[in-house]
Amino acid sequence: MIQPIDDADSIDPSADQDPEELLPARMINELVYCPRLFYLMHVEGQFAESIDTIGGTILHRRVDNGTGGLAPAEPCATQSFIPSSDEEPVVAAPEPTKPKKRPKSKHLQPATLFGDDENTEPGNDQTDPDNTMPDAETESDDDTNDPPRTIHARTIHARTIHARTIHARSVTLSSESLGVIAKLDLAEASGNVVTPVDYKRGRPKRMADGTLAAWDPERVQIALQVLVLRDNGYQSDEGVLYFNETRQRVRVPVDDELLALTRSSIAAARRHRESGQIPPPLISSPKCPRCSLVGICLPEETRRLATAGQPIPQVRPLVTARDERRPAYFSTQGMWIGKQGDLLQAKVEGKVVQEIRMNDINQINLFGNIQLSTQTIQTALGRDVPIGYFTQKGYFYGVSGGLGVKNILVRRQQFRLADDREFCLDIARALVHGKIRNQRTLLMRNHREPDATSLRDLKRYANRALKAESLASLLGIEGIAARVYFGDFAGMLKVDCGVSTGGEGFATAEKQPAFQFRSRNRRPPRDPVNAMLSLAYSLLTKDCLVAATMVGLDPHLGFYHQVKPGKPALALDLMEPFRPLIAESVVLSAINTKMVTPDHFICAGKSVVMSDTGRKHFLLAYEKRMDSLVTHPLFDYRVSYRRLLEIQTRLLARRLSGEIEDYPVFQTR
Amino acid sequence: MRRIYLITYDVCDAKRLRQIFKCLRGWGDHLQYSVFECQLTDADLLRCKAQMADILHHGEDQALVIDLGPAASRSETLVQAIGKPYSAMAAPCFVV
Ligand code: SF4
Repeated sequence: MIQPIDDADSIDPSADQDPEELLPARMINELVYCPRLFYLMHVEGQFAESIDTIGGTILHRRVDNGTGGLAPAEPCATQSFIPSSDEEPVVAAPEPTKPKKRPKSKHLQPATLFGDDENTEPGNDQTDPDNTMPDAETESDDDTNDPPRTIHARTIHARTIHARTIHARSVTLSSESLGVIAKLDLAEASGNVVTPVDYKRGRPKRMADGTLAAWDPERVQIALQVLVLRDNGYQSDEGVLYFNETRQRVRVPVDDELLALTRSSIAAARRHRESGQIPPPLISSPKCPRCSLVGICLPEETRRLATAGQPIPQVRPLVTARDERRPAYFSTQGMWIGKQGDLLQAKVEGKVVQEIRMNDINQINLFGNIQLSTQTIQTALGRDVPIGYFTQKGYFYGVSGGLGVKNILVRRQQFRLADDREFCLDIARALVHGKIRNQRTLLMRNHREPDATSLRDLKRYANRALKAESLASLLGIEGIAARVYFGDFAGMLKVDCGVSTGGEGFATAEKQPAFQFRSRNRRPPRDPVNAMLSLAYSLLTKDCLVAATMVGLDPHLGFYHQVKPGKPALALDLMEPFRPLIAESVVLSAINTKMVTPDHFICAGKSVVMSDTGRKHFLLAYEKRMDSLVTHPLFDYRVSYRRLLEIQTRLLARRLSGEIEDYPVFQTR
Repeated sequence: MRRIYLITYDVCDAKRLRQIFKCLRGWGDHLQYSVFECQLTDADLLRCKAQMADILHHGEDQALVIDLGPAASRSETLVQAIGKPYSAMAAPCFVV
């Protein structure tokens, strides 16, 4: 089971850097689950939440708060040590004996482990009042803590006998000799024997014969706790896993075999950390679907691309098809956005015009003159919700972060390879090739009467791009192809232009320009189609920049686009193949489905500006495109365009780290 | 995948009532007095329930979480209103 990084030890940045530093036991737990997971989380510093990690965090918050604080100062003989948020803080028994301080460990919190010389059996199952219901299917909802419904006399008896067992929660201990630091959810001490108890969500593993067992990662974690205890002078032979959902205890004896596994795991963790080489993904493992990092790791996709040429089994669709949260765009001028609890409140002239739940959004985008309160900014950044800034007309300024990826290794690789001419050219060729192919596909699909010469030319230019000798010649090829493509662009507009400029003599002819398109122009765009194209590219740049940052890449250092201050060169690189598929396609559908109409535009001198309403409609059209599902030609599963951007960016990162040999530029079939 | 949940509560104390109302506003639409409709992922549901559990008095209050199925295949007639109209919105983004 993957554990969240919820304790200070594992997010302490210093812990990850020096190989001599103590390894948190959790890391080793993860290494046993999957070495790649360990690498992604603790070497690259990537993290994603899953249902398991969230559940774990909630559970541990309660476990840790069980005695009302992280560092219980008094030993308590607990009546019931099942953590419960609404329980009265457990009353400490009238001090059985004084706790003996053990100054030996610097990480030991105020000594709570010792102090009782009662000879109770360590880890005796009967000390757990809930043990009377080993198979109880009573409560699968771990958010409520009902008291056990039946308590057998036997247990009550047992409880009186063992009342002087000492329980200590959230004890952090380290071992210099192992180089490991471990946090014990609960330590049960009786006499000199200490038994660590680890709280788990969910259910224990069940063997064929019905007995309960533990998985290796959990066993190793217990072994580490036992070893750390021993290193601190306690006697400890076994540990206990307590499963919150089923309220079952599983004893984990620490034998030689387990010790060997544990020692080799510690060594492997150090090796992986020093190697700088990501371990390969597991092969068709049942662990991957439950792994919180599956969307970052892309196990099947990586394997497929790494073993290109060989017959490959199907790629299981392990990534979720789309992000469940949605972007928010604010474009009403003069609006003020504040926060009330978990709600964003958009106010115009002091009146709330809309409330949006923070839990529902993955981006905040501001067009022009809009105020965001500091609390909102802080909350957004804290939740990794980026804030995008645009001018009122839609010119993209940039994004403020909160996408705190610590993955410096891939960034270092990016900087190294950006200086490698051959590498840059290689990536650039693939990008331009993909872009031209996608332009051609768009023409074939949407043009009323696709021109055979244009299609043939585009195919030729695409192939020529693959053989380009330099970035400069590539730019030339891209330019010629664009001219051909935009020359035919108007043929994809299927709405009759309605009021055409100077047409039927309408006075409005000047105010409402028609959807005509001659060529691409910008700054300022001189017709509605160009105005929409500019806005669409702005939005797409923002989304590519967000994807690059999320993956840990520097959005400003590109391979094809040259470095220029303020220019998000890598985002522009990533965007090339997607221009036709997302941006231009949105413009076409906005016009063809009449989501945007000529009266959504205002002529201002030589330039054309979108009205507020027009922009709102267009934003909806853009997001509809981003949310629509598309089949990935290599992996044969369907994901939204937004998810696709992320996957493609992650694959680029894999290319940079050398795990795969070719960057597969996305092309529609 | 999001699912639709109807969450209702019966809370005995005015302070907790306010707290639970505020908490649920962060997760769903307030339909009626102590009734919310929430579209939640599994992770959201877990967080939402944990938040509620922290507020509710387990001996006196009660909240019910009623699973109305996947949000994606939501039927038009899932919720029917008599009297004032009811409408569920589904846009790919928020535009204000
Ligand atoms: S997805 Fe699979 S291979 Fe990748 S880190 Fe998780 S368990 Fe390991």
